Amino acid sequence: MELWNDMKLQINQQTYDVDVAEDTPLLWVIRDNLGLTGTKYGCGLAQCGACSVLVDGEVVRSCVMPAVSAVGKQITTIEAIEQDDVGKRVVQAWVNHQVPQCGYCQSGQVMAATALLKATPNPSRDEITAAISNLCRCGTYNAIDAAIDELAKPVGGNA
Amino acid sequence: MKPLTEHELAELAQETPINVSRRNFLLSSAGVAAGALVLSVGIPLRQARAAAATKMAPGTRVPAFLQITPDNRIILQSPFVEGGQGIFTAMAQIVGEELDAEPARFIVENAPTGADYQVMVGGPGRMTGGSMSVRTSYQTMRKLGALARQLMLQAAANQWQVPLSELITEPGIVLHKTSNRTLSYGELASKALDLPVPDPDSVSLKDPQAFRWIGKGIDRVDVYEKSVGKANYTIDLKVDGMLHAAVQHAPRLGLVAGDILNLKQVQAMPGVHSVHKVTGAVAVVAPHWWDAKRAAEALQVDWQAATSQRQGVRSMPADFSSEAFSEMLANRTEAGKDAETAGDISKVFSAATPESIISATYQTQYVHHAQLEPPSTIAQFHDDGRLEIWLPNQAPDMFLRDIAKRAGIAEDQIILHSPILGGFFGRHFLYPDANPYPQAIELAKATGKPIKLIWSREEEFLRDPLRPMAAVRMKAAIENGVPTALEVISACEGPGEAISGHDPDNVDGMAVEGLTGKSYQIANVRIAQDYVENPTMLAYWRSVGNSMNDFVYECFFDEMADKAGADPYELRKALLKDNPRLSHLLETVVKSAGGWKRGPFTAADGSKRARGIAMASPFGSHTATIAEVSIEQGQVKVHEIWEAIDPGTIVNPAIIEAQVKSAVALGLSQVLLEEVIYQQGEPLARNYDMYPILPPHMMPKVHVSIVESGEKMGGIGEPGLPPVPPAVVNAVSHLLGRRIRRMPLSRETFA
Amino acid sequence: MKKLTLSMLVIIVLVAVGAWYSTRIPSTPLADVNSSELNASELIAKGEYVARASDCVACHTLPDSPAFSGGLEMATPIGSIYSTNITPDKTHGIGHYTLADFERVVRQGVAPDGHRLYPAMPFPSYAKLSDDDVKALYAYFMHGVQPSDKPNKQSEIPWPLNMRWPLAFWSGLFTDSGSYQSNTEQDEQWNRGAYLVQGAGHCGSCHTPRGLAMQEKALDESSPQFLAGALLDGWYAPSLRNDVNTGIGRWSEEDVYQFLKNGRNQHAVVYGSMTDAYNNSTQFMSDEDLYAMAHYLKSLPGDPLRDGEPWQHKPTTVTASMAAQDAAAKTYLARCSSCHGTDGMGRGQYIPPLAGATSMLAKEDASAINVTLNGSGRIVSHGVPDAYRMPPFRQQLSDKEIAEVLSFIRTTWGNHGGAVKVQDVTELREKTDPASSQVIILQMR
Repeated sequence: MELWNDMKLQINQQTYDVDVAEDTPLLWVIRDNLGLTGTKYGCGLAQCGACSVLVDGEVVRSCVMPAVSAVGKQITTIEAIEQDDVGKRVVQAWVNHQVPQCGYCQSGQVMAATALLKATPNPSRDEITAAISNLCRCGTYNAIDAAIDELAKPVGGNA
Repeated sequence: MKPLTEHELAELAQETPINVSRRNFLLSSAGVAAGALVLSVGIPLRQARAAAATKMAPGTRVPAFLQITPDNRIILQSPFVEGGQGIFTAMAQIVGEELDAEPARFIVENAPTGADYQVMVGGPGRMTGGSMSVRTSYQTMRKLGALARQLMLQAAANQWQVPLSELITEPGIVLHKTSNRTLSYGELASKALDLPVPDPDSVSLKDPQAFRWIGKGIDRVDVYEKSVGKANYTIDLKVDGMLHAAVQHAPRLGLVAGDILNLKQVQAMPGVHSVHKVTGAVAVVAPHWWDAKRAAEALQVDWQAATSQRQGVRSMPADFSSEAFSEMLANRTEAGKDAETAGDISKVFSAATPESIISATYQTQYVHHAQLEPPSTIAQFHDDGRLEIWLPNQAPDMFLRDIAKRAGIAEDQIILHSPILGGFFGRHFLYPDANPYPQAIELAKATGKPIKLIWSREEEFLRDPLRPMAAVRMKAAIENGVPTALEVISACEGPGEAISGHDPDNVDGMAVEGLTGKSYQIANVRIAQDYVENPTMLAYWRSVGNSMNDFVYECFFDEMADKAGADPYELRKALLKDNPRLSHLLETVVKSAGGWKRGPFTAADGSKRARGIAMASPFGSHTATIAEVSIEQGQVKVHEIWEAIDPGTIVNPAIIEAQVKSAVALGLSQVLLEEVIYQQGEPLARNYDMYPILPPHMMPKVHVSIVESGEKMGGIGEPGLPPVPPAVVNAVSHLLGRRIRRMPLSRETFA
Repeated sequence: MKKLTLSMLVIIVLVAVGAWYSTRIPSTPLADVNSSELNASELIAKGEYVARASDCVACHTLPDSPAFSGGLEMATPIGSIYSTNITPDKTHGIGHYTLADFERVVRQGVAPDGHRLYPAMPFPSYAKLSDDDVKALYAYFMHGVQPSDKPNKQSEIPWPLNMRWPLAFWSGLFTDSGSYQSNTEQDEQWNRGAYLVQGAGHCGSCHTPRGLAMQEKALDESSPQFLAGALLDGWYAPSLRNDVNTGIGRWSEEDVYQFLKNGRNQHAVVYGSMTDAYNNSTQFMSDEDLYAMAHYLKSLPGDPLRDGEPWQHKPTTVTASMAAQDAAAKTYLARCSSCHGTDGMGRGQYIPPLAGATSMLAKEDASAINVTLNGSGRIVSHGVPDAYRMPPFRQQLSDKEIAEVLSFIRTTWGNHGGAVKVQDVTELREKTDPASSQVIILQMR
């Protein structure tokens, strides 16, 4: 706890200097120190996924990532999602399929879907199920599936 | 306060309503502000203007509801809060229809407190709940749109100096056909909204045949913002100079903080501003929430029994066990108080042979709301003593009254903001000691700073009031293949009486809804409640009493069918044969599932499956559900759900479909997984680890059929839920060949 | 007839000797010290430190009860026993104890009335305490602790199993008498470490394998069994010897120190029963003492035969494609990877790596199963609760899923702990409870 650092974090292509205890969860640095509130707090225990961000392209639940572990890595939050080609397509699919209800988990859902599609452009249904475990209390799961299935189809492939 | 931007100053100068979240939306869309800084600007001017004006019927003072920007964005104050149910879109659709403005042009916000927004006809004025929003305000909100349109026409007539009768509207514009002139609503608004509002009776509503948007599955107004993280919930907001706070609640209600053993150590922790004792908790204030949270957890508190009890707050016994309580309920033998009777059950039962009688006891469980957004409140005292407060809530004016009482200030000295909700399901009503705002107000007073208090998930699960549990004794006589008598005695406490006080002379309707009000033709019926006070704090939960009672009734219905040697679908059909509406609904769901087959049957993947069916009639709508299940690794797997809903008259079928799917998910979550367990007076689960909710891989494919019977409009948010648990359990029981009478199914491992 | 009489006589003599032996009050070297003079504040402070090092509070204090007033239930197969009130209350506590009485209880397991303590009280270890430390401990319990009149709870062990006298023979067989004797071949730091590890720290209670009579197989470094790792109460307490896989062979002395001082290091974070030892005991010890313990432990050689092939890290990243084909990898990705990483490397010192983790290399899989089912209790380091805790998964994962995912973890990244049986998960699930997510601080005053 006494470990206070002048920590440098690379978030959405910008460098931020923050003074926090090094074990502060990345989530709270993002939300509180930097004011990027699109990333949500739901459980603080990696159970729900509302806090999902990308760290070096991989989806990470930021509530359980000590800030110090993110140093030197490229962090992407929902605020920059449309600056990414895949992210932009995901958002478009979310709108097409009218996915969100209360919306609270959706930043995390979009991040998780984006990470999957960046790593695996045409994921199988099994891969989608394996990769997307974010909770949604409104039960938008069918719509999420429909949106990702649409994106998972090879471009110009069979309908 | 931060200096205002030119735009904001211009807004102020124009005396247009200041809208906090609107501004934030604009700023963040433009990429100007990181995060969600809100500017507290005192009483919104609209409210001030409204208050000064003469008294008008709720829902008629157009300027209190509508603002139209020069670029033709329509900002609508919704009397109902958006929490995922799509009400902002429905409001835009309804008002837009009569105003003749495209719903997609709307920006909808939750209205401030005040008489203008008490629009619920035959309802409690204003609140978001009971699946009542659209059905209680439909005509009023249509009329509001029509009045607004009339103002647009009048303003154009004034400007062009032509008779109003020569003018028509097209979406967003007023048109003078003869001169081929047009004016947009945005151009007209500043004058139009200052005109006196015409007599509501002087404007007529559209013929539904001519509806352009109502009845269509138009896109929701908030989907994009919610897909890119730009929607702001209370937890996301901040005001200048704000400090954060976290609490450690007393482990049981009824305890108060004595000594804090390590006070000095915690006060000295990095980032800690101050430590406080507040209602029901100890609190830490800090510039950053995480530091406050860790310090609050670090506090070593000597919790002591309170000498006095706060009104409505129940002291939790140190040895309370929910399992033992449920068993106690199940073992009761009291006859209870009549809630509904027909014929004479005792005559039938005494004449019936023992072989013709079946009885069973069903048990339902406590459940959490478990909305994903943890509760929070921002409280700020202004220098002039006024209190400005932001909090998630389903009933702004009720909260306003309570806050005024607590803070000891007049209601007109309080500015209450009600941001959108990160899920609610009944969570954000006024429940004693279950909301953070009293503590936030105390901390803002104590520190002289604006305070944002967030309850961590753990502190939330400790104080979340629960959906009641019940043990229901069912008894029926089956003669000639049909039930001739049915007695239902529910040992429970209803949420209504738990919150507002038990009336010994009456049954809490919410305790028995779903047991009462059934349409099946059974000649002799007695539905009763055996009231048993709970030591827990109880609450409304999506579909309230129906959420547990339809499980009980509809499962026992299948037991009656089995006893009668009848197919459960055929028996339902038979007992509903004089009810064309429900017969049609039942046929619809069966047809959508490709016909009725109870099973067990072997599916293409080799799994052995069965189907169950159930119906419910909550909140003025009717639903019927079929579930297909198998057993996988000892647990129930739900493969598919078919649900048909007849809400009478509809506004947005796409939202209805989404809401039914949402209700199915929550119903499944309840029947498969959820149970709040208390041991030694404390909840076993303080997070989703020990209180799992439905994860994506357990969500089946859901097929929704909407029947628009044209009957009186019913509710949408809740009715989809109640038939889901019994449909699933009926399938499971049939598959197993033995009856399951208790939720959740994860209590058991099935062979 | 004569024969019978003779054999009866022999039996009577044996019984008499046995009875004398098993009920006698043993002698104490501290009999002549005047108990009432042991009240100097420095001595009391020193005693408090010895109490910390001995972790008395872990068993003798309940949360929300007066310090040291006892009442902790310890389940045994023949019934529960309860820790006792050791406050200076004259009726319910030990206020009437003389130093001699106290010495006999702490170091020899014999109460003033002659009854024998169950070895749940680690007197075989405390036997090593120096006279000075016993005196200090006595001074602390007499003058540094508030008396509490909380009555003791009777043990629930039924007659005749509740007879205590056979324990005397147990003690006679399995306890070394006399306090710790310095090893003159070793330096002072080593000796201090050995004294603390063997004595107050009673590390062997959990980490040394036990024999048929539940005795620790060794009480010092003279045996390779000492601290060689043991299974106890559903946890596998790993080797504290220089075993590369199952012990601290890959740890430096600094790592050991960090672990005892902060509850974490780059290799591991305390969990299971060690959480209590850390929360209540080791973090309160001086740096000097902790380094001494680290120094001593690092002097204990490993056993390559027992320990097996040294772990070699084989980096692997768990991906969605992998998870799509393997149920275990799927569970890992969904449930474990958020904290422990898709590479199994954890998050620095805050969330431990699973790659190369002792619990994933030891053939005993109890700890791996237990922590997955039940999570870990909160670690409170220097007054501050942990930022990250291991949640229990018993409500979310089936026995089969837990066995699968642990088998996966124990055979990935070079781990070679091997497969976990579903049956073992089922058994531990029934026997154990989830760890509380609440911060629990046991008070010493």
